Amino acid sequence: MKVDIQSLETFNQLAREGAEQATASMTQMTGIEADVEVTKMSLVDRKDLGEELGDRAFVGVQFDYEGELAGETVLVFGRACSASLVEALIGSADDEAMAKSGVKEIGNIMMSGFIDGWADYLETSIDHSPPTYIEGNGPAVLPDTTGSDDSDHVFVFKSRIEWVDESVEFYIYMLPEYDPLTSIMADHADTGDDAIPVDKLEVFNEMTRSGTEKAAENVTMMTGVETTAEVSQISFAPVTDVPKQVSNETYVGTVVEFTGLPSGYLMVLFDEVSAKNVAEAMMPIDVDGDGLTDQHKAAIEELGNIMTSGFVDGWANVLQTSVDHTPPRLVHDMGQAIIDPLAAQVGRQQEHAFIVDSTMRTDEIEFEAEIHALPNEQELREALDELLVDRVDETEADPEQIFQE
Amino acid sequence: MKVYDGQTSSETESKPEQIKVGIAEYDVSKNGAVLTTSGLGSCIGVALHDETVPVSGLVHVMLPSADDMEDGNRAKFADTGVETLIEALEDAGGNRNNMVAKIAGGSDMLDFSESGSGIGQRNVEQVKETLNDYGISVVGEDVGGNHGRSIKLKGASGELVVKSANKGSRTL
Repeated sequence: MKVDIQSLETFNQLAREGAEQATASMTQMTGIEADVEVTKMSLVDRKDLGEELGDRAFVGVQFDYEGELAGETVLVFGRACSASLVEALIGSADDEAMAKSGVKEIGNIMMSGFIDGWADYLETSIDHSPPTYIEGNGPAVLPDTTGSDDSDHVFVFKSRIEWVDESVEFYIYMLPEYDPLTSIMADHADTGDDAIPVDKLEVFNEMTRSGTEKAAENVTMMTGVETTAEVSQISFAPVTDVPKQVSNETYVGTVVEFTGLPSGYLMVLFDEVSAKNVAEAMMPIDVDGDGLTDQHKAAIEELGNIMTSGFVDGWANVLQTSVDHTPPRLVHDMGQAIIDPLAAQVGRQQEHAFIVDSTMRTDEIEFEAEIHALPNEQELREALDELLVDRVDETEADPEQIFQE
Repeated sequence: MKVYDGQTSSETESKPEQIKVGIAEYDVSKNGAVLTTSGLGSCIGVALHDETVPVSGLVHVMLPSADDMEDGNRAKFADTGVETLIEALEDAGGNRNNMVAKIAGGSDMLDFSESGSGIGQRNVEQVKETLNDYGISVVGEDVGGNHGRSIKLKGASGELVVKSANKGSRTL
């Protein structure tokens, strides 16, 4: 099954407009201004779904829908956020039953426009259930999609909405079942030159995971701290949304340009605390003071380099090509400002971009690293196509034929 | 409209409204609202102010020129973004003859191009060229260099506060 860039763009746009409409309904009801920060469509391993929710407490509503597009859609608010919304709506969130029904009411109004928008575009009807109140911590608040169909991966349309001037946020997830979604996307695709075999995107996720594992192994090797690969996903978003993939906190890390098929940019980023901790794990002696010294930065540069090599090797192995990269450039700046010039560079040729994200963590010290890659879209497509050819060769080779000669 | 009661914020007694301007977006303030945009690397924030009204506006542009691109988002490019902002200020009662500009961003950090100038520098050149075409002078700038910036435009005064991760902040 193939989908094209146009259909990915269209579906991403649908999710974005839906999220904007839902947010506008909320503002109308409560008077609270909010912005849709980012909408992206990601292909994630089911077990990684909702990773960005951390272990914070959420409440929200869930709708099940069926029809041409079957699945679930979920709107979740952080607990504090939901209390403020309910207060704005009914004056008090003290009574639990009232608070629940307030969340349900807000959720219902916000999301009916969201679902209707999809149905209108697809020129079909999508029947959805009444809202069910949900609560839970972190990813557990989301519906369990394991076992709903065969694929290990799930497409998720995810929007993060932030209140203007406040650090409270909520999320909208659209979780269509894999098969109906991909067949609709294929129907809406104009399978020309830019078609992408959708199942190969999964392979790409696997590549990213293997790259991240290699990078994590290298961290363990250099620091002696056991490090594990956590999440890997591939997302699709307008280039103008790419910088929002990272927060605007200050990061330390390295950036390289890689060349080959595909070419692009790769960032290895540590928050300042992680950078300091991991750099000190690499240093033979204790360092005085709180700040990041040149020694810390030199250690990060070395680590970034070896993580980049590990990651890129992981890709090259699967693609059976060679991927070269420039020497790493050390960066210490606002997250979004680091990624912004790379998005601009990629944005000269394309309006939308694939973004490969992965993270790694360790339990021993406070440490988290993010890897983000921005491959050239057209070259990624070519790489996926070649992967397809290779795989066909592998699976269709008939042993008897080989031994006949 | 959100009501600020001053209780939750320790900074000021009556805090003006804040409006976030995202990448390839613009906004205009007539009521003294503060316009902010963050994470400028090679992107540029262009602030326009007409003190006779007063009216202020901010656009966050990403690429130098809309030429040869099919993209319909005018605020994404330096040339069409500046034009769009001038028009929006005029719609809000401003006059281009009274407008002044302040610009920040256009860093050349992470410029991997081996020849010619990077996107940051070309963004700066294009913004200045378009402003010049409209006869609007640049009265303050913090551009180029090797670091990112976040900016805050005070709608009432036209002051532009530029913050960077490692170099503190300055007011233009």
